[in-house]
Amino acid sequence: MSATRTLVHLLSVAMLLLWGGVLLYFHITGRLVNYLPPDGIFRPMVLVSGIGLVVLGLFNLLTMTAEDAECEGHDHAHDHDHKDCGHDHKNHAHPHKDGCCGHDHGHEHKHEHGTCDHDHHHHEGCGHDHGHHEHKHEHGACEHDHHHHEGCGHDHGHSHSHEGHAHGILEESSWPGRIAVLLILAAPLSWAALSTPDRYSPNAVVNKGLYDPNYADTSRADQFSLQNKAAKASAKPDTATAKVATQPATMPPPGVAAASAAVADGTKKVNEKDIPKPAQESKSYGSFTLEDLKAQVPQSKEGNFILEVPELYYTGGDLEVQKVLTGQMVETIAQVLPEKVNNTEGHRLRIFRMLVQCCAADARPYSVPVDFGKKAPEFKEMTWVKVVGKMNYKKEGEQTVPIIEATNVIETTAPDNAMIY
Amino acid sequence: MHFLAAALPEPSRFGDFLMAFLSIIFEGAPYILIGTIFSGIIDAFLPAKLLDRVLPRSKVLSTLIAGFLGLVFPVCECAVVPVIRRLVQKGLPLSCAVTYMLSAPIMNPIVAISTLTAFKEFQGLSWATAGNATMTIARLSLGYLVAVIVGLVVLRFKPGQVLRASIANKIEAANAEEGHGHAHGANFNGKLVHAMRSSMRDFLDTAMYFAIGVIITSAFNTQVNQAILNTVAGKEWLALPSIMGLAMVLSLCSTSDAFIAAPMAAFSMAAKLAFLVFGPMMDIKLLFMYSSVFQRKVVVYLLVGLFVLVGVLATPWMSLIQSLYIKP
Repeated sequence: MSATRTLVHLLSVAMLLLWGGVLLYFHITGRLVNYLPPDGIFRPMVLVSGIGLVVLGLFNLLTMTAEDAECEGHDHAHDHDHKDCGHDHKNHAHPHKDGCCGHDHGHEHKHEHGTCDHDHHHHEGCGHDHGHHEHKHEHGACEHDHHHHEGCGHDHGHSHSHEGHAHGILEESSWPGRIAVLLILAAPLSWAALSTPDRYSPNAVVNKGLYDPNYADTSRADQFSLQNKAAKASAKPDTATAKVATQPATMPPPGVAAASAAVADGTKKVNEKDIPKPAQESKSYGSFTLEDLKAQVPQSKEGNFILEVPELYYTGGDLEVQKVLTGQMVETIAQVLPEKVNNTEGHRLRIFRMLVQCCAADARPYSVPVDFGKKAPEFKEMTWVKVVGKMNYKKEGEQTVPIIEATNVIETTAPDNAMIY
Repeated sequence: MHFLAAALPEPSRFGDFLMAFLSIIFEGAPYILIGTIFSGIIDAFLPAKLLDRVLPRSKVLSTLIAGFLGLVFPVCECAVVPVIRRLVQKGLPLSCAVTYMLSAPIMNPIVAISTLTAFKEFQGLSWATAGNATMTIARLSLGYLVAVIVGLVVLRFKPGQVLRASIANKIEAANAEEGHGHAHGANFNGKLVHAMRSSMRDFLDTAMYFAIGVIITSAFNTQVNQAILNTVAGKEWLALPSIMGLAMVLSLCSTSDAFIAAPMAAFSMAAKLAFLVFGPMMDIKLLFMYSSVFQRKVVVYLLVGLFVLVGVLATPWMSLIQSLYIKP
């Protein structure tokens, strides 16, 4: 193996270890919770592939001098190519494979084949480096003498070029190209791993649509709209509401609840996405009563309904729930940013939670305005707050906007999962 | 988490970019690893000429079959380019290779599962109502159709007219070599070493293009106000081209793009279908990768052809598949 190839091989291994290491680091430190949802396959996949990359890297490191079954891209000066078979070499005092590895044949064999008395065994594979030969092959029971494996052993005089095998960019490039490839592989990943804040700035939240809410949206309504909650309870282990919703059928009004649950379970849940629903359809999920609300939503000891912002958000598309929720006291924890919609008097703030579908890159803010009825208090952007207030709904623009008329807003600590999955 | 938060940098515009970048890497890298382990194993263990023996003599028929090869060798589009290079060497005709290249990132079990999951089509899925997995069926079938159409067009050309000269020569050289029947003799260990080396190279190749794509995507994702999408999404004639343009820019992996498409509430199902079929066949990172195999003008034809084909077919195809829907 030439020095260049050795170096490229080692750099390749280093890249694998870097990628694997970053995956494992974020998984082990638990910081992965800020990037991928807890349910589903993504987080375990990071662990498995992190281990896989490290193993692949180490395997290639340890087998660096081993023979490769097929040879690629050698710059051999031989008139024939020893692909996988042992053949009678004419040019060399001893036979060896011109492996994949474009080696400089220095021929200073110092084989120390333990108990084996073979003579330059042809390893089907290719690519030893006959430059420095510290063979560590463990030839179990080897007593062969130029053993020709599996019937190949031809003397070929043709010279073929094995360029057909796909080479890595690293192998094929010249050094400037290699350095560029290495930079692209290593620099952004290392930089991101070292200096990611694990959370978004207000800028990203705004770009992801903070001020463009569509309260009649149904895209994830099945997961968060109040009427479907009983059926969805198990899907949201980290939110307070799920605790209550695990006892769905226990509450009284069976007729009504069953009817709405049937609607929820059947048509809406199964194929919510298949058939685009006209906007007005989202406004009628069936009947909903205060009992349903109490059954589905936990209450604080003051009697406030504890709801997540996405749940409040989706009530904007559900007339029945709005009727029940209007005037009720609600409580929620969210982050705060200034309100820029319908806020000429400065009475409002906007609170939001980021909702993630499959990774933090697709996080979307779900937000509702908080109205103070007077000059809104000042909070540092992105502060976590606990908001208590009375629910109200106003037709603003073309939407029905869920508004919390605040009675009490205090700074609080961030919840364990900053994002909702 | 709380104790770590103190040590973390303050959020910033650039931090947003890093955060999005990392999260997509975390999401995609595992699948790239799977794909490249596969391609390494194919390279080392799939006997040369096996495909040639297995595929029917009729090239049209074998192209039709090649469209389903993704079910056997599932790869996403990042890994498919090195894989088809290998498969061409293992005796796969060019039309089949192109069809496989275009369809495999869509017509494959991992993508089917991720699409089912993203569009919540798993719930209530049974054989009786299998037709209700509308998006998954529409995506796989349209992907297959488009890939076969392109493959049949390629059938009319010689490899030398389509492939880069260097690649076309390599195929001839390889074909000449096949006659010698090499690659039979290797033992398992040697093959394993070879497979793992190929996997390493493929992973790094793929990861590099992936990283470039993710950089562009993350920048768009966090630095550009997404509200511009909503303005075009409403108009159907504008929605299709713009969502395909988005697929191009985002350069998502086909194993996870469904998760991005599903929550795009503003777009119609047909537009999402176009996104999910066009994206795996053509995007910015693929443009680079295809250029390493095909002649540049062929890549341009491919870009335009796929854009028109998917754009024209998406809407009627979605209507057709939606008509299969059975009320549960």
